[in-house]
Amino acid sequence: MRKKTIRVLSGLMCLVLVATLLGACTSTTEEPEAKAPLKIGMSTPSTGVAAEKGAPMGHANLDCIKYVNEELGGIDGHKIEVLWLDNGYDASKSVTIIKRFVNEDCLLFTAASSGQMTAMMGIANENELSGFAAFSSPNLTQPPQHIYGQTPDYGDDWAAFAKYYMDNIWKGSGKPKMALHLLDNSTGAGAKMAAEAGAEELGIELVAIKEHSATTTSEIASLTTLLKEEIDVLYISSTPAPTAIVIKSAVELGMYPGITIGCGHAGFTKALVDLAGADIVDGVYGVYPTVGWEDDVPAMAKMTEYCQEYHPGDYGNMDYIISWAQSLIAVEILRLAVENAGADNLTPQVVEEQGLKKLKNFDVGGLHGPVTYVPGDNRLSKSVRVFQIQDGVLEPITGWVEAPFINYE
Amino acid sequence: MDLPAGTRNYTYAQDMAIFRTKTHWTLLIGLLVVLCTAPLWWGNWLSVANLIGITIIAATGLNILTGYCGQLSIGHAGFIAVGAYTSAILTERFGLPFPVGLISAGVVAGLVGMFFGMPSLRVKGFYLAIATIAAQFIIVWVIKQWTDVTGGHMGMSVSAPALGGLVLKSDSSQFYLIGGIAVLSIFFAKNLARTRVGRAFVAIRDNDLAAEVMGISLFRYKLIAFFIGCFFAGIAGSLFAHWARFISDEFFPLTDSILYIGMIIIGGLGTTTGPIFGAIFIGLIKHSLTHYLVPTLESSAIALPAGFASGLAPMVFGLIIILFLILEPRGLAHRWQLFKAAYRLWPFSY
Amino acid sequence: MAELLQFTITGLTVGMVYALIALGFVLVWKSSGVANLALGQLVLLFSWFTYGMLVQAGLPIWVGFIAVIIFAVLLGWIIERFILRPLIAQPILSLITITLGLAYFIEGLVVFVWPASVAALPRLFPVEPFHIGPAVVSQQYLWAAIISLALFGLLSLFFRYHKMGIAMRATADDQRAVQACGIPVTRIFSRSWMFACVLAAVGGVLMSSIGGITFGLVGTGLKAFSVVILGGLDSFLGAMIAGPIIGLAENLGEGYLTPLTWPGVRDVIPFIIIIIVMFVKPYGLFGEERIERI
Repeated sequence: MRKKTIRVLSGLMCLVLVATLLGACTSTTEEPEAKAPLKIGMSTPSTGVAAEKGAPMGHANLDCIKYVNEELGGIDGHKIEVLWLDNGYDASKSVTIIKRFVNEDCLLFTAASSGQMTAMMGIANENELSGFAAFSSPNLTQPPQHIYGQTPDYGDDWAAFAKYYMDNIWKGSGKPKMALHLLDNSTGAGAKMAAEAGAEELGIELVAIKEHSATTTSEIASLTTLLKEEIDVLYISSTPAPTAIVIKSAVELGMYPGITIGCGHAGFTKALVDLAGADIVDGVYGVYPTVGWEDDVPAMAKMTEYCQEYHPGDYGNMDYIISWAQSLIAVEILRLAVENAGADNLTPQVVEEQGLKKLKNFDVGGLHGPVTYVPGDNRLSKSVRVFQIQDGVLEPITGWVEAPFINYE
Repeated sequence: MDLPAGTRNYTYAQDMAIFRTKTHWTLLIGLLVVLCTAPLWWGNWLSVANLIGITIIAATGLNILTGYCGQLSIGHAGFIAVGAYTSAILTERFGLPFPVGLISAGVVAGLVGMFFGMPSLRVKGFYLAIATIAAQFIIVWVIKQWTDVTGGHMGMSVSAPALGGLVLKSDSSQFYLIGGIAVLSIFFAKNLARTRVGRAFVAIRDNDLAAEVMGISLFRYKLIAFFIGCFFAGIAGSLFAHWARFISDEFFPLTDSILYIGMIIIGGLGTTTGPIFGAIFIGLIKHSLTHYLVPTLESSAIALPAGFASGLAPMVFGLIIILFLILEPRGLAHRWQLFKAAYRLWPFSY
Repeated sequence: MAELLQFTITGLTVGMVYALIALGFVLVWKSSGVANLALGQLVLLFSWFTYGMLVQAGLPIWVGFIAVIIFAVLLGWIIERFILRPLIAQPILSLITITLGLAYFIEGLVVFVWPASVAALPRLFPVEPFHIGPAVVSQQYLWAAIISLALFGLLSLFFRYHKMGIAMRATADDQRAVQACGIPVTRIFSRSWMFACVLAAVGGVLMSSIGGITFGLVGTGLKAFSVVILGGLDSFLGAMIAGPIIGLAENLGEGYLTPLTWPGVRDVIPFIIIIIVMFVKPYGLFGEERIERI
């Protein structure tokens, strides 16, 4: 027993040590380049609770850089060197990662989720290292510092949907009554901030704000309290599973159909249809910031080619698109910086001033809305498309709708 | 304490000394030299080292509470959160100096810990475990919703720690702060265990009824244990907040609380070295996965199944906890003792 | 008034499902004195396994359910034999923490095998809600409540009249005395884990057919803890009564307390109840107060 114990334990320890050493040895080999490479940092939650979204995002980030390095020869002959780290959706890991980006002189960094970017924001702003997150919320970009949002944030989702609703759906007289049903984190808080700041202006009466947790199993009670408000439209900013629960509860209570339901992009995916059932969610509106797979846009061919070759399992995943676009934007920023300031003078500050802030109508290969930097507005792309679920399919019903800028001050 | 053959204690001071022989002192000085020069050559590992240092402080606190006094707490991350927010609020919103924030963080976390520890007077074991889980959830909920004070979902920015006029911005300067406090906490914990209070804790752990019969006030000592354990958590929380420069409710999940329990079990319950071993062991696995193993696997283009890395880490942690409990309930600290004994007795190891 | 009725009905039915999961906890506690903190994770694992059988392997519903039950029995046996048996007679601290380790392990296993974070089971019950006066109750919850009541009845009868059930109760009372009577204690432990896993599997299938399979199922395990604390750790009746109380408190809290406090109060009400119960009546409504001797 004693001997066995020692053997098992020492075996375990050895495994861990070997793994550490292996990792340490292999990660630092570099080939000399003709021109100095440009270094950027990238972090995705490829492990941990958000791995389902994070893993394909990490693949897309790296595949796109591979494409730029191999087929386009990098930027003006400078290869792009990526320091990619997995943050495991763990806030304290994210802090060690951003510190490493700063220490290793990355010029720019990207992150996937708003939660992880929130954790990285403090160090990044302090060191003036600019970065942008694929999914963002208003707390990242306002007040504007060195953190940017790649796509419209959860607040913009609300604004775009509300604008579409007022223009196309609302036919009654007076002000429509809207209620919000929000996830209890930044996904929900973004929509809440936007609605509280912008409802008045759009002519919407905000009658109730409900919150749910990610683990909810029934929202009958919270919706019951909405019954007497006689709402016209319910906006849900959440992830797919709770969104499905809210809609199901609304159907059971006989609220829906009858009112209009709109969803933010975090919850508006195929998973929503699968979880709730196509008959339940039929006619629900939602917004989403990118095109779909197989849409006819310039960047689609290469993206499909690389995805099929290196990560065929990710084909059809919407998150892959957003991260491929993210890498394209990072490359464009570096290209602008090299063009404006010269490759030898690049520092994080120069990249931000001469690259990021010079972005103007970059079309991202058509993958999502055009990217422009407007002073004071740290959102890069400001457009979403409105979709409706028809027979279990998410059908786009508009072109790019620009979300109005909302000042949360 | 075990001493090499031929070394005898002639005075009480010698008997109580932690560092007794020349070898002890040589090792201590060697370790101190390594630690003091660490910022020069640890590079990126420095921020990981800081995080591990903070973890050691928190784990030492939990070890006093759970390892010495036997009061299981699965809400340690919640108490760390209390410390982090206390310190952040005092320094950011009220402009108080960092040392005030640090000490108040410990005190407030200790008081909150005492409150949630009160059920321990009537219940123990599983009941207490659930009460502390409840503490974790209630604390995080309050942080999440009390937006005026804590910033809610949006979190809070925290400034770098400043001692007088000295602002400790970089990881290397914070290393000395965190390292110093960690050494102090370990020293405190080591000595606490040898006092009247420490021995009362052990008596309560081993049999609380017998302890009470012997005249140990359960009420007093259990609450003291909760206060001290959570005081350490608060200090760790404060250091964490000023190290990360930003805190939100997502930094303090229940899984962290469970991991802390895992750490002190792997390290060795009720030993001073245990939390150190446990925190370093878990910290190194966690961060070498992040910084080396996963990127290496990813760039080697071996197509891993999607859940591979994400599933493997909790599986390994869970398995380690289970295996340690079954095969080596006394943890790494015990292994270390055996190693020392073998070294001392070599070559006559039996 | 209609509102109150709705809250009450929703609370009672939701609470019955909590009670069902809590029964599995009480079962293990009653016979072996082990607190199973991996309850929520087991529920999650069985839900995913059901998904694997019904959706991925495409088995017909009944065959799939039988496979799930067999898997649950097997897993119960494995857990008891390889994880808990080596710890017999170890301090309670080790017993609790080893189930925490188990919880961590299962969480990893689930992500390892089913990396997708959400999935849906095929619909087991019709969607049309059932009307009671002005209030509605979904058929899913109604069936779940009926099933948990039925299981409660069966378990109570089993523990009262069946030889094995009586032996289990005796074991909970005094392991050494039972062993002296020639009853194989380890087999009793093993059986109780098998039953507990089957209960977790049934609970998991019901929960996930209602809300889909998500990580949130782990949270129902936590709800079950508050149910057993309120009801008393060793009382089936306590669990069956405390479940609906917790459900009611949650829903009434959502309806009437949210405007007075903060949103999300529903999710912490069970935890606040735990703390209050521990101060006022630490052994729960129906729990047996054990007198300790040195």
